[in-house]
Amino acid sequence: MFPPNTKFLVIDDFATMRKIIRKILTELGYTNVEEADDGANAWPLIQKAHEAGTPFQFVISDWNMPKMLGIDLLRTCKADPRFADLPFMLVTAESEQKQILEAAKAGVSDYVVKPFNAATLKQKLERVYAKTNNAAKAS
Amino acid sequence: MSAAEKLQNPLLDKRLINSFVDGVASTLQTMANTPVTFGKPFVEPKFAARGEIAGVVGMVSHDWKATLTLSFPKPAILSILENMLGEKFTDITDEVHDAVGELTNMIYGSAKGSLNDMGYNFEMAIPTVIKGQFIMLQHTKSATLVIPFKLTQQNAEFFIEISVS
Repeated sequence: MFPPNTKFLVIDDFATMRKIIRKILTELGYTNVEEADDGANAWPLIQKAHEAGTPFQFVISDWNMPKMLGIDLLRTCKADPRFADLPFMLVTAESEQKQILEAAKAGVSDYVVKPFNAATLKQKLERVYAKTNNAAKAS
Repeated sequence: MSAAEKLQNPLLDKRLINSFVDGVASTLQTMANTPVTFGKPFVEPKFAARGEIAGVVGMVSHDWKATLTLSFPKPAILSILENMLGEKFTDITDEVHDAVGELTNMIYGSAKGSLNDMGYNFEMAIPTVIKGQFIMLQHTKSATLVIPFKLTQQNAEFFIEISVS
């Protein structure tokens, strides 16, 4: 599993969902968590953290936000070599197959459909860790 | 699904009721460990606001334009949020306001998934939240499907209202 000092960025336009995700992460032992309320505000944070030498190591983002969609932030990260390997999870109320496929095509690490509980988020984090680890070993 | 079925007015489609009942039940059970029961749905000739705070989202597809309103009297929403966030709320605060938006988002997303599997093709939308004695200019004159819900563990009700333009 990801080490306890992993630096997370949680992005959602609703503070309630950011709070729920932060609470679950804290229960799982992760306390290095920052928040953004939109993809458009998250992108400069991701770049600044990288430039400061304290990059985010995991992004958990909502899909449907007013200024910049989570899927667009994902594509922006994937297009930038600095963030192409940054684990990126979408947590969204959008459960339709076409959206899941669109996210997979954009390179999402995993996809959590709301509503979800702590066990589901933990399981998905473990899955991303396994994928990331396997990819690192293969390269 | 046939084209004729696709064009059925959503208010006359009992699968719409089932989609929202399932969406409400699964959202509140999973996120807030709060079981609910639902009462007999009914149609009113005009929209009437119920409760002190409501999440509103436009349900737009190629064929239909409807408005979903998730209306909460104070006791129901305060109880749900206490279960969901592990904090006691005594009034409609900004935090309660935000949480109603997120609940509306999740319930609409969940029901939309089922409805779109049936061919409705409702689009993604961002909810707004209103509080107090609100007036819904867009759909006050529309027939409104009302689905009442009750929190199983206490005597508190809330409502889903769907008005088709």
